[in-house]
Amino acid sequence: MTVSQANVSVAGSASGRIRRHLLVDRAYHWLMAACVVTLLATAFLPIIGYKFEWLGLHWTTGVALSALVLIHIVRAVIWQDFWAMMIDGADLRNGWRHLARALGGKGVAPGMPGKYNGLQKLYHAGIAVLVLSTVVTGLLMLLKIDTPLWRRNPYVLADYQWGWIYVVHGFAAMALITMLMVHIYFALRPDEWRLTRSMFRGWITRREFEEHHDKQRWAANEY
Amino acid sequence: MQLFRYSTSIYGGSDVLIGASWDLLKWFVVAGAVIIVLHAAVKAVTSAAG
Repeated sequence: MTVSQANVSVAGSASGRIRRHLLVDRAYHWLMAACVVTLLATAFLPIIGYKFEWLGLHWTTGVALSALVLIHIVRAVIWQDFWAMMIDGADLRNGWRHLARALGGKGVAPGMPGKYNGLQKLYHAGIAVLVLSTVVTGLLMLLKIDTPLWRRNPYVLADYQWGWIYVVHGFAAMALITMLMVHIYFALRPDEWRLTRSMFRGWITRREFEEHHDKQRWAANEY
Repeated sequence: MQLFRYSTSIYGGSDVLIGASWDLLKWFVVAGAVIIVLHAAVKAVTSAAG
């Protein structure tokens, strides 16, 4: 469906709801959230003093997150609008105009975003880098533990190589705490509540769509 | 403040890099808090300014 066809569909619909997230994507989001929170808790609670047997839950959750991320990448590339999450020239122009206005300028008003605004896309890119870093290094670190499926073999890499793998895993994991805090903050802000609600229900209202999104940049469908 | 953790080599050589320093953990939490407070402050000021 083209953007213009979708706009006809939206304009002619009797429904007051615009689909934002399919059930499968909402399920992915919340499963990923559960995995990330579990992984951060099992990683850092023992470090700050809450000692428990963390390794089994940590690596199994890590494998689950790896599978989820793989499914998400395949879905994003094949079935979803991959480019809807990529920063484009309009996002950069709008970002510059927002910044200029925030600093007191009187220039051209920024345009409205498509499905995602520039900062959301930037956040997604950051999360993607951090999660992929922890997933890749975490999968390599599985070579250092015995599991029901394989025996440990840490000798495939030199000590200094393992050191850098642990460095990347650790820094990315700590940065995920910062990103998670920011994500929860924005999810709880009243002016962003429509987006949080859409991650539960899957839709935003037609009015929210018209007030916050550019119809030419988001081929939205009715719910 | 250390950026990395090291262990002493059992062979008596130089220290071996074993990961990121957990001393940095609190600074990542502080960074998140700073971003949140700054954004909330800017939003409050710009909303008040109309």
